[in-house]
Amino acid sequence: MRPALEEIKHLEAFLQGRLPEEEELDVEIRLLWDQEWKQQVTQQQLSYQAIREAGRQQLRQELQAVHQRLFG
Amino acid sequence: MQTITNPVMASDIREALILDREKTLENIYVNLYPVVLHYVRQRQGTAEDAQDLVQESVMLFYEKVMQQELELTSSATTYIMAVCKNRWRRELEKRNRQQELSPEISEQVGAEEQEEEPDHKLAAFVEQLGEKCSKVLVSFYYLGQRMEEIAEQLNYGTVRSATVQKYKCLERLRKSLAAYTINHFR
Repeated sequence: MRPALEEIKHLEAFLQGRLPEEEELDVEIRLLWDQEWKQQVTQQQLSYQAIREAGRQQLRQELQAVHQRLFG
Repeated sequence: MQTITNPVMASDIREALILDREKTLENIYVNLYPVVLHYVRQRQGTAEDAQDLVQESVMLFYEKVMQQELELTSSATTYIMAVCKNRWRRELEKRNRQQELSPEISEQVGAEEQEEEPDHKLAAFVEQLGEKCSKVLVSFYYLGQRMEEIAEQLNYGTVRSATVQKYKCLERLRKSLAAYTINHFR
């Protein structure tokens, strides 16, 4: 994978609390001084939130369909 | 109508939801809905209320099972039924409170509560990515499907290439959310 994608993967592990302590500390320190990077992290966090919203919409539709099939 | 299926325990139900979500949800729903409908109707509710309540509680259950936050000591339906009862009690309390207020105030409170609801605008950013990207992301991160299965369903040659695609889609989503964060957090 290209470096930008590796970084996304790395941040994902950070946001899920799966990084080894030392690497986690590196990320946290960079968050303190690198504003642009901090913005990227915020956007990635928001991405998972967006996926959750989209997922909920889909699951809701699936349950509606189940309801229609069984009791509609 | 189906016959009542055996109660399914947490570890099995996670597996079942991953392997065949449709069938598993159907099994839960067919047992749950009639009981909740009966319960809600006896307590000032309608069929529509029951439907909402069941669906929201099943969604909550799904998320908890996928995030492995749940230690089920009883069957799935027993657990979700308890959630439904709790939520219905709170809903009734809320409705009663609103009735005590004057119509104008009650309307105002209603409007404010709507504003507090989760931001559905965010989902639109995922849809914008196109069907394939949106499917990869939702299936993996929300529905908890395995990469092997996703790769096969969406005709990616290998798990590896599906995984790379997943991160590319996430990258596009992240970029597209720049506009959103600037408008909302500054």
